[in-house]
Amino acid sequence: MNGDIACQSCDLLLSVASLKDGETASCSRCGHFLTRKLTDPYGRVISFTIAAIILLVMANSYTFLSFGASGLESVITLRETPGAVWKYGMPFVAIMVAAFIIIIPALILVLLLLLCIPLHEGRNRPWLAAAAKLIFLTQSWSMVEVFIIGVIVSLVKIADIATVELGISFWAYAGFAICFTLAVSSLDRYQCWERIEALESA
Amino acid sequence: MTATAASRHLASCRICYKLADANLHKCPRCKAALHLRKLDSIQRTLALLITSCLLYIPANLYPIMITDQLGTSEGSTILGGVIILIHHDAVPIALVIFLFSVLVPLGKLMTLFYLVWTVKRHSPVSPRQRTVMYQITEFIGKWSMVDVFVVAILVALVHLGGVLSIRPGVAALCFAGLVVITMIAAERFDPRLIWDEMEEKDRDS
Repeated sequence: MNGDIACQSCDLLLSVASLKDGETASCSRCGHFLTRKLTDPYGRVISFTIAAIILLVMANSYTFLSFGASGLESVITLRETPGAVWKYGMPFVAIMVAAFIIIIPALILVLLLLLCIPLHEGRNRPWLAAAAKLIFLTQSWSMVEVFIIGVIVSLVKIADIATVELGISFWAYAGFAICFTLAVSSLDRYQCWERIEALESA
Repeated sequence: MTATAASRHLASCRICYKLADANLHKCPRCKAALHLRKLDSIQRTLALLITSCLLYIPANLYPIMITDQLGTSEGSTILGGVIILIHHDAVPIALVIFLFSVLVPLGKLMTLFYLVWTVKRHSPVSPRQRTVMYQITEFIGKWSMVDVFVVAILVALVHLGGVLSIRPGVAALCFAGLVVITMIAAERFDPRLIWDEMEEKDRDS
């Protein structure tokens, strides 16, 4: 048996050469996901990425949450969330929060465009491998969906001491989280690297 | 006949999944370091797990956030926050926090210790079951950050002059560190070690 992929979970050698569009391959021994072939994967990634970038810019431009109690009101933007933690003397926590919810996702979005536009058009660019490497190294550190749950939990926690309103930014961020997740999950690691290799050696 | 990549002396690149001769030490496609198995996987995972256990203590003993209301300060720990939510009849949210902030970190630590132990002791427990345990641990890890995000949001949002404000507590730092370090520990563990044992047994028999 001539293998072209090894299962990342159990190291079994497998062949995925016969995979057709729309099919998913899993390891026959441990069931771990191997690769998936989508029709027009790079077109999909580009569309979701552009939508996610627009929504992320919106999420950074308007009110995220507003909070009022006993006649006083306070309004925050998305960026002020890590900013406030920094002000209270916890720069490490602030950097982690900022990185997980804004910086890393934004970096991945830019890299996705740099990678997928050339892949879609079938052109070789000198930065393809570097961009792909950085995407796959950082993608497990994006926590956009976790942050959405965090916002909902916070709202419930202070619901009875104050009135809280969700701003435009919150809805933009929720939309961004969905588009971002779809963009990242449309990029298949194995297929993407096979394509990079084919373009680089052409 | 099934064969593993390692049995043919092929290393599978962790970044781009390329199969290449393990003697190359560097992936020919993406230039990442190439190893048959993650380097010193068991030792590194164990070291990170012990660090996490140490962080788990202050993360639960100290307050994760402090509420200043009309001159009085009140700290609340992770478990304390869950109890307050139950008193406020927000049981579903209390369950979410309890699950992600208490059960998940503890379960993750115990699962990883167990996996390291079974690999070390050459346990006969079904490799497939252990692989599923590992995959769940890896997937669920980042969800523990929920509590840190809640603190960050509340700290930013709740500050009404001298009337009411919320500050982050020491436990926020310990807990964020704990989540990040257990994520790295899970990443360092090599699930292929679970299967290597079976290979050796097959060869012997």
